[in-house]
Formats: sequence, C-alpha cells, structure tokens
Amino acid sequence: MPIPLLLLSDLAAWLLFGVALAYAFTASRREHLRAPWRRVRQQPVAMVAAVILLAHVGITLLDSLHFAPQAANGTEAEPEPLSVLDFVLTPLRTGVETSYSAPFALLGFDRESVLQADGRVVREYPRLRYGGAHLRDPAQRGADILQRGALGAAAGALAGLLLLRLLWPAQCRPWRRRNDDPAGRAAALTLLVLCVLAGLGGALATRYHVFGTDKVGMDVLYQSIKSVRTGLLIGTLTTLVTLPFALVLGVAAGYYRGLVDDLVQYLYTTLASIPGVLLVAASALLLDGLMTRHEDAFSSLIVRADLRLLALCVILGITSWTGLCRLLRAEALKLRESDFVRAAEALGVRGPRILWRHLLPNVMHIVIIATVLDFSGLVLAEAALTYINIGVDPGMESWGNMINAARMELARQPAVWWSLSAAMLWMFVLVLAANLFADAVREAFDPRTREATPSARPAGT
Amino acid sequence: MSDRLLQIDQLSVHIGDQPVIENLSLKLKRGETLVLAGESGSGKSLTALSIARLLPAAAQVRAGQITLGDTALFPLTEREMTKVRGARIGYIFQEPQLALNPVMTVGDQIGEVLACHLKLRGKARQQRVIGALAAVGIPDPERRAGEYPHQFSGGMKQRVMIAIALAGEPELLIADEPTTALDVTVQAQVLALLKAEQQRRGMGMLFITHDLGVAWQVADHLAVMQAGRVVENAPRDRFYAAPEHPYSRTLFAALPKLEPQAHTAPVVHDQPLLEVRNLAIHFPIRRGLLKRTVASVKAVNGVSFTLQAGETLAVVGESGSGKTTMGRGILRLLDLTDGQVLHRGDDLRQLSSEALRIRRRELQMIFQDPFAAMNPRMLVNEILQEGMLAQGIGGSAAQRDARVRELLVQVGLKAEHALRYPHEFSGGQRQRLCIARALAVEPRMVVCDEPTSALDVSVQAQILELLEELQQRLGIAYLFITHNLGVVARIAHRVAVMHQGVIVEQGPVNDVLFAPRHPYTQALLAAVPRIEA
Repeated sequence: MPIPLLLLSDLAAWLLFGVALAYAFTASRREHLRAPWRRVRQQPVAMVAAVILLAHVGITLLDSLHFAPQAANGTEAEPEPLSVLDFVLTPLRTGVETSYSAPFALLGFDRESVLQADGRVVREYPRLRYGGAHLRDPAQRGADILQRGALGAAAGALAGLLLLRLLWPAQCRPWRRRNDDPAGRAAALTLLVLCVLAGLGGALATRYHVFGTDKVGMDVLYQSIKSVRTGLLIGTLTTLVTLPFALVLGVAAGYYRGLVDDLVQYLYTTLASIPGVLLVAASALLLDGLMTRHEDAFSSLIVRADLRLLALCVILGITSWTGLCRLLRAEALKLRESDFVRAAEALGVRGPRILWRHLLPNVMHIVIIATVLDFSGLVLAEAALTYINIGVDPGMESWGNMINAARMELARQPAVWWSLSAAMLWMFVLVLAANLFADAVREAFDPRTREATPSARPAGT
Repeated sequence: MSDRLLQIDQLSVHIGDQPVIENLSLKLKRGETLVLAGESGSGKSLTALSIARLLPAAAQVRAGQITLGDTALFPLTEREMTKVRGARIGYIFQEPQLALNPVMTVGDQIGEVLACHLKLRGKARQQRVIGALAAVGIPDPERRAGEYPHQFSGGMKQRVMIAIALAGEPELLIADEPTTALDVTVQAQVLALLKAEQQRRGMGMLFITHDLGVAWQVADHLAVMQAGRVVENAPRDRFYAAPEHPYSRTLFAALPKLEPQAHTAPVVHDQPLLEVRNLAIHFPIRRGLLKRTVASVKAVNGVSFTLQAGETLAVVGESGSGKTTMGRGILRLLDLTDGQVLHRGDDLRQLSSEALRIRRRELQMIFQDPFAAMNPRMLVNEILQEGMLAQGIGGSAAQRDARVRELLVQVGLKAEHALRYPHEFSGGQRQRLCIARALAVEPRMVVCDEPTSALDVSVQAQILELLEELQQRLGIAYLFITHNLGVVARIAHRVAVMHQGVIVEQGPVNDVLFAPRHPYTQALLAAVPRIEA
C-alpha cells in the first residue's frame, strides 16, 4: 500500500492553486473584477495560451501528489518517493538505456564492445534495451512509427472530442458552422490539438525514445515533462514571495509618505543595488552547508532537492520585489491625492482601512499584470541560474539542468542536440504562451488601454 | 470661388453598432462663424474630428460626405489629407496643456507648421514665428519664442495654440471648446482675439462650445446638437430671440442667470456654525541638495469669514486664487500654516486627532469631478455605509441598509441602485451619490467644491435644486466654492470673492454681484459672457 507523502513544495503548489480558485470565485461574483477577465476571454490568442498554460498546471498538480511506494522485496534501500505523474509515466521512467541515443533510434549513440554468439567481441552500435525493442527487423521502423502514430493520434482525437462534448458549451464547439464565439472555438481547437499530441506521444513514447536519451540513458521526454513542475513552481511561488513585500511596503510608502516612505525607499534601493546573482549564489552555498551538517534530517534526495527549490523561490522573491514595490508606491502616491481617498478621510475613515478598502483594490490590476509578466522571466531565470549551478538541485529535473548537462556534448561530432532542443522547445512553448496571455491580461486590465477602446462596444463585434 | 467654405452632407458616424452622429448636414460660408452647441456626448467634437479626418480608431464614418471649398475630403489619400490639415484647416483643442509638446520650444512648434506647409526656412521662418506670436498678443515675442510650454500660463498657452493653428493660414479654423479650461477674464480675451483674427483673415470658423453665453459672443450662425443630430440651426439673433426647438428652450431655461434673486436670509445666531480667523496655508518651495525651504507659495494668506447654520456662503475666484485649498484646509484635509478654524466654538487645530476624526461627521465635502470622487471598486451600498461605519453610527447592518435606501430616495435615485457600481451611473447621478454619501453621516455643514462644474447645464440645474431643497429641509450650511457667477446668484446668501489667496470683497449676494466695490470683482463680472438679446 503506497503511503501519501506531502513535500513542502507540494503544499505550496496546492495552496497556490487554492488561492487561484478562491480568486476566481470572488472575481466571478464581482462585476468590476469580472469585466476585464471577460475581455481576456474574448481574445482567441489569449484563450489558446490559457489552454496551454492550464495543461501545464495540470501536469504540475499531478506531479505534486507524492507517495512512497512499498519497498520491493529483497532491496534494502528505501525507494525514492514517486508522484502520480511518475506513476503515469512509468514506461518512460523505467525505460533507461545505458547512455545517449538519438530520437527514435534503435541503436545506441556510442560504439560498445558486444559479445557475439560465437564468442568474438565486436565494437559496434548496440541495440537499445527499450527503444524499438519490439521490432524484429530495423527496416520496419518507419512503417511502425506511422502506424502507431496514426492510431495514437486517432485515439487522442477521439478522447479530445469526447472531452469537448462534456466540457464545452454547445455554442462554441469548433465544428459548428455558425459560431459567434471565435475565442471559445480557438480554445476548443487548442484542446483538441493537445489531445492529439498527447495521444501521439503516448502511443510512440512507450516504444521509442521520442526525444532520445541522455548521458545516463534517461528518456529526455520524461525529463522535459518533469521539468514543467520545476519551471512553473519557480514562476509562481517566487511571485507569491514577492507580493507581501511589494504590496504592503509599496502602498504604505505611497500613502503615508514621510518617514515610512524614506525607510521603504532606503530598503529597496539598497536591495536593488546588490547584484542578485551573487545573493542567490551565496544563499545556495549557505543552504548546501546547512544540509551537509544535518545530513540525517535530509535523508531523501527528493526532500533535499525540494528544499533547494523552495529556497531558490524565496531568495529570488526577496531580490525581485523591488520593481513591483516601486510601481505600487508610485500608484499609491497618485491615488492618495484622488477625491475618493479625500472623501474617505473627510468621513473619518482610519488610515489602515483606507489602505485596505481604497488603495489595495485599485492597485490590484498592476499586481496581476506584473505577476503574469514576471512569470516567463522567472522560468527563464531558473534555466539561467541552474546553468551556472546555483539554481535547483542537480538531481532535480529542470530545463536548466537539461541544458547544463547538454552543453559539453554539443562540441561532439556528431552533436548530441536533443536534450538541449527538447528543453528549449518546451520552454519556448510555455514562455510564449505565458507572454501572449500576459499581453492580453495587461491590455484588459490597464486602464489606459481601456480608455482607447470604447466600452460601449457590445461583445462579439 | 464660391463663398461656401464647408459643407457636410448626411454625415453618419458609428462607434461599433452605436450611431453617434446621424444624418448631420451643415454649411459654413467664408468669413462666418458657425457655433456647434450642445451638451456632452451630443457628438459636437466627433463632428469636428470627422472634418479633419482625425476620428478615433473605434469610430467609423458610415455615410455622408464633407466638402472643403471644392475638395471632397473623404476620397483624399492620407498623404493628401496631411496637406489639408494645418494648411487649410487649423485646429484648436480644449486643453492647451495637452495639445502642446512639453519638450519643444513654442517657437519650434509654430515653425514646424511653417516648414511643413509654407516651406519656410531659416531667418524667414523665425521672422514669421515672431510675427505669429505678436499677432496673438504675446508680449516680447522674440524672447518667448525660445521658451517651453510650461513657462506659459493657461491663457498664454491657448494663445500659442491659436498661433499654431493660424500659422498655416487656414481657410477654416476649428476651435473645440477653446476657452472651457480658462478663467472668465482670460476667456474674454481669447474670445476677442479669435473673433478679431477670424474677421481680419476672412476665415470660416467652426466653434464648439457648451456655453450659450460664449456662443453669443462669437456666433454668426448657431447649430444645436442633441444625441448626434442637429435639432436647430439658425442665425444667432433669431436663435437667441426665439429658440424654436424644445431642447434649445430647455437649455435656455437651465442656464443660471446673473440676475438678482430673492433669498430668505437664514437666522443669525450668537455663535456662528463656523468662524475662520486669519487662515493661512503656505506650501514650502524646497530647493537644492538638502531640500531647504527657500520660499513658500502663499495659497491662502489670511482669510476670515463666518458661516451661519443653514446658510450658503459662496466663495468665487479664478483658478489659483486658493479657494479649493481653503476649502480643504477648513476640513483639515491639509495642514494649516496659521489662523484658527472655530467650529461650534472649538478650534479644529487644537483638537486631538481622534476628536477631529469624530468631529468630521459634522463637516463633509462634495467634489468637482463625480467620476473621480467614488472608489470604482466599491458598491454604492458600501460607499454610502463607509462613513456610518467609520463614525460608528447607523445601528445594525439591516438598519444601515435601510438608511442607504432612504438616502438614495432622498437624493432622487432609486433604492435598488444600492447594489450597483459607480460606473453604471451618469455624471449627474454620480454627483447625487456623492451628496448622499455626505448626508449619510448627518453633517451640519458641507464644503461643495465646484460641484456642478463638470456637469451639463441641464444637470447642473437639477443638482442645484437638490442642494437647495436639502438645505431647506435639513438646515445644512454650504461653503460653496465656484467660479461660475451665474450659479452664485442662484444659490448663495452671501459671497466672498477670492483673489491671490485673500478675500477682496464679501457681503450679501445681491450687493456684491450687482454693486461690486472692489475693482477685481468688477473686472470679474465684466468678463462674464452675457447674452444681450
């Protein structure tokens, strides 16, 4: 019987998801919060991006449900905890080759000494243990890939259509001719494409290494999927760390001015003048030292990696709240002069309540815009920091680690290009989706762009 | 060349599916001024913008054509149109502050037009720039041509705008509310300048205004617009003598007139509700590395007056006279430099912050811009209850809800409006909400800071009526800050005229307005645009 296991970052991920759900619930009941989201909902590009982002969120959440599997008979070492996603991806996780192999390869990338049946030892490219092992004749590979791919894609499409029928309201299903909701149609089509891709991947990845394998023979597709959680958590948790600092300090500085303002400004100018990378490096080293000294408390590899991930989020958060804080202070400075704040003062409303009721709700659009815009930057920052070895734990799957591991191999002839390409491609898709979504959100929430487009314009024209 | 300069035929403009201009036809002869009058949202500005083909992207011309001289404007390419703008059509906008580029010298901005349309270079251009500035009455034009817009006052900036619009020697001058942002005395000068230039050059002028008094000063012809249509189009004298359309007549009826009116004087008590003694509010000017105070702006500099319960004291003055600062200072929303504000005998400056917070219940404020005065993220219900909660009055939640409904009805709205957001209301309705918010804490005195300036005349009349009715019913005293002398005549018992931080004259309304003694009051009254039909 597997025992559920709650890692700290799992807790954070689900907490964040809960907060997002709670926000969605409040927003759906308040007109002024719902209106901008409705504008986002009307943009096809934003909806395509949203579906892609939601798919990533789904992967992250699945990967954030950990359990400790029972030790197999005869092994002494306690097995590493697994997530539900690991369980789903078991064929990918366990199909480990000896070393590099190219995408869809049947043979290894390096020559090995192979003992022939007649006792001779020959240096040749060995057959892979898992990749295409079911094929008797290597020449069948092309036909086999086509056949399996077609079947998988068809199954994916079928599942996708079923999903659409269940989830989508009738009027925006993509196959309807009279369609007055282009954004809904775009989202439905994206979902369908994702389902087809998942079907395709599912059918092929069980028999081949679709993205090849890395140095120790791990499937690169599996690594890429596992990296989603790392990237997403860093992108969102870091923002969660920055928000309390930026919100409280920024708004208070703008409203109270005087001494409070001086202190906050002093704090953020000081912080902003320390090179962020050095701060991250120093704290990563400190944490490493801490964990070596208390080895017994951090027995499991995954717990250590998890702690390092959280520490990275916190330290990135602490170094990056200054930008948002500056924006919020400026906005609060403007708002404190507005008539409605003056009216509240004239009514005898106390300072903290003015901050809470009048200033905070009126700066939230900036917070939302900044959060969504920062996300993609943070995903990329993770890759950059891990590349120089001060990011996440080297044992943790992340795009930065994939790129880091691949960098030496690029110099080989022929080059090992697939780890790098897979990480780049996946990151590109996620960051592009995040950026497109961020653009739509900014446009919908920014009062200046809202004035340019008349609000009298009825929906759908 | 025919004497017809501008002809608009059957123009229709839509924003989305909403028609904003419908079947509009207008004619303008050379050397004449056509005034487009109407309230906000009637489509006046959009009409002018469609002539210059500068409509915002969301607005589309659905039908009609516009001919300038012999040129049909709509078939022109964008490149040809740029030659028409500036050279044949001059455009003056409402807000000179926004229409001038703050990082270019005034001379360069005029020179730009000359370079584009008259291909003038070097010395010749500089000569023309100086000539243009001199023509609009800017003293010392050689020096001022090298200065930046922030070094000019509002009226001077509008003169520069006129110089720019006239630099290309246009046949048609479009002036979109050119004097609305200016004080009356400056407005009178700018109007005189515009009229003189129009007659000297024999230009056609399309003049947009919401003010029938201003319209009388400049118009040859008058077209009244309502909801995208021209409802009345007549020569000036005929229009003012006998407006035909019912809408034109309501505009006239709503116009606050500068005429003596009978007021019932409020009872004078021994102790006035509010007594202000030598009030001074100075803002320090800090300079240098250490931000030392080098001087101060004396926004309010020794002001004294009293306000009786149930009385309206109007404070009039031009922008920068310190009247708004004074209003805020009395409510202690600003720090006072000197003087005393005695409310029921207690000096508000001596009260502790908690005592002052409780005293605020009796002193309320209504703001000029009802769009900015309410938090857009709060429901009307929450807005109206805020004061009750802060002051701990109004009883239980159910009682407060009932009180909100009662207040809404009291200010002429409906009880079910409580669950809406401010943006769902029109300007006049919002001002009613602001009044309800002030009334919620049962004040004895309300500072009204230009409460009707952002509103159309017909709405303005309704709000004034509401304020008067509330005063009679609840005995509230108003400190009514305004620049509109017509409004003063209508609502005030007494008037104080402010100029550069001091009160130059105060007394009963009929004395000050109709027998002014101070020269500044006399100048102010003389500048008010009057209809002499």
